[in-house]
Amino acid sequence: MTHVVPADQSTQRAAQTETITVSRYAPFRSTAITIVNLAVFFLIWELIARAELINALFFPKASAMFAAIYNGFADGTIWPELSHSVSNFMIGLVISIVIGIPVGLLMGASRIADLILSPYVWAMASLPRVALIPLLILIMGFDNSMQLTIIVLSAVFPIMVNCMAGVKTVDPSLLRAGRVFGTSRLQTYSKIILPFTLPFVIAGVNQGIARGLVGMLIGELLGGGGNGLGFLLDRAGDQFDAPMLYAVLILLAIMSVGLIQSMRWLEQRAAPWRDTART
Amino acid sequence: MVHVGSHQTDHPAKERASTVGSTLIEAVEVSAGYDNRRERTRLIALRDISLTVTQGEFLAIVGPSGCGKTTLINMIAGFVKPLSGVVRVRGAEVNGPGADRAMVFQDYALLPWRTVERNVEFAIENRRGYVPKAERRRRIADALGLVGLVGFEKSYPHELSGGMRQRVGIARALVGEPEILLMDEPFGAVDAMTREAMQAELEKIIAETRQTVVFITHSIDEAITLGDRIVVVSNRPGTIREIIDVDLPRPRFDERNDVKRSARFGEIRSHLWALLSDEALGAKSGSVTQQEGETR
Repeated sequence: MTHVVPADQSTQRAAQTETITVSRYAPFRSTAITIVNLAVFFLIWELIARAELINALFFPKASAMFAAIYNGFADGTIWPELSHSVSNFMIGLVISIVIGIPVGLLMGASRIADLILSPYVWAMASLPRVALIPLLILIMGFDNSMQLTIIVLSAVFPIMVNCMAGVKTVDPSLLRAGRVFGTSRLQTYSKIILPFTLPFVIAGVNQGIARGLVGMLIGELLGGGGNGLGFLLDRAGDQFDAPMLYAVLILLAIMSVGLIQSMRWLEQRAAPWRDTART
Repeated sequence: MVHVGSHQTDHPAKERASTVGSTLIEAVEVSAGYDNRRERTRLIALRDISLTVTQGEFLAIVGPSGCGKTTLINMIAGFVKPLSGVVRVRGAEVNGPGADRAMVFQDYALLPWRTVERNVEFAIENRRGYVPKAERRRRIADALGLVGLVGFEKSYPHELSGGMRQRVGIARALVGEPEILLMDEPFGAVDAMTREAMQAELEKIIAETRQTVVFITHSIDEAITLGDRIVVVSNRPGTIREIIDVDLPRPRFDERNDVKRSARFGEIRSHLWALLSDEALGAKSGSVTQQEGETR
């Protein structure tokens, strides 16, 4: 472990690497497994449904569900509701991020702000969202703004609380290093606290997405606005339209998995130093 | 607990290379402690410490854990204000951290989102006084060369071993060319083999850069092989138990002259051992009074 001089200066990293042979298909292996896995799942579903072991009213054939999705898009019953839900959700999420991150950072950085705001934040963060529906309907009626409000109220607090936790758990020895090497107050924030908090912010947004989706659905199911995926779900239930019910559930699952996965991708991009610590 | 008044042994002016042995760091009857507001007590970590460090000297500090060694180095760094007494660097009272002092931390304290070279750059980018980009590049390259990290500029700390991370920590401390290098158990978290190698390299580096070093350690051997003088700190509240001159020739990590096997090394070692085991036993029997809380 004395002076390590790279043999080849052209490679920036001195860590020795050797080429190993990996199957050409290796990158596609997990995708292939997922596809086969899902295919088998729907096949078994179809077989169970065809055997009529369970009442078709509760358990339609997988093929009937796919047909409902196809027809729903073809005759224009799904698309307007889907786009309404997605755009509503995205607007709500953006509002939550814009409010949640700065307030959370402020609460983490300032003891006074924390003391003043925390009772409200914690009350709102722990209160079941459904409880707010009657009040919000009273205030805003069955308007779209009521649906948007419930999304924001669901998503903003987890974002806030996580940002606050991030600032509060900054490694004290990094702060000491900052002092030794002369960071100003501003530099302490921009160079130590904010980068340290970034993974917490992303985790908060992740939770915000999960909670926001719940908010979106309860707003649409109970808000009586007459639009969105929740409305579609409600109507399908009333009409005993099981294939449509399942179709909407699948769409919701795809939407949430897509959002969560893209956040995970972003998280790994934003904090590459953390991945060895976890996986 | 045996009461030992703080005292200071005279030592001959150290002649290291071209540096003159003038006083660089000076602590005068310094006490330090931490307030526990909930219990309304103050834990006294250090009591009446008086100490001088001459320019170019390598001062090792040993003592039982919790004796306030870190508090002492933190006061020199400017993090901790003394309750009484004064710490001066070049005659001026320490009022906070400064560019003349850099620190190497036991837990490295590297920014995990920065590459090795950007971590080193951290030491010279914050304080006022613009350093041109090219000059910075050169100094970073020099510092990384000094600690043997050429080729790892673009690596992230999590990709490096503990020993290599601490090399980054040392490069970061050296790049600003501080007069004083404060090292708080820098090799405490690296394995024994790497530790020996890094001690040898540190001696070589310091011989080249001629910093004044204050070095905290748990290891008696490390203190003797590296230090010009060794300060033995007693149990909490820490007082100076003794200051020992290490009159062993340098370089100490020379194959032809194995300092560790010399008779003098053994003498100093057993003397230190006696002192420290005395303190360790004192810590046990004195555990009841160890709180040393002073109600305010």
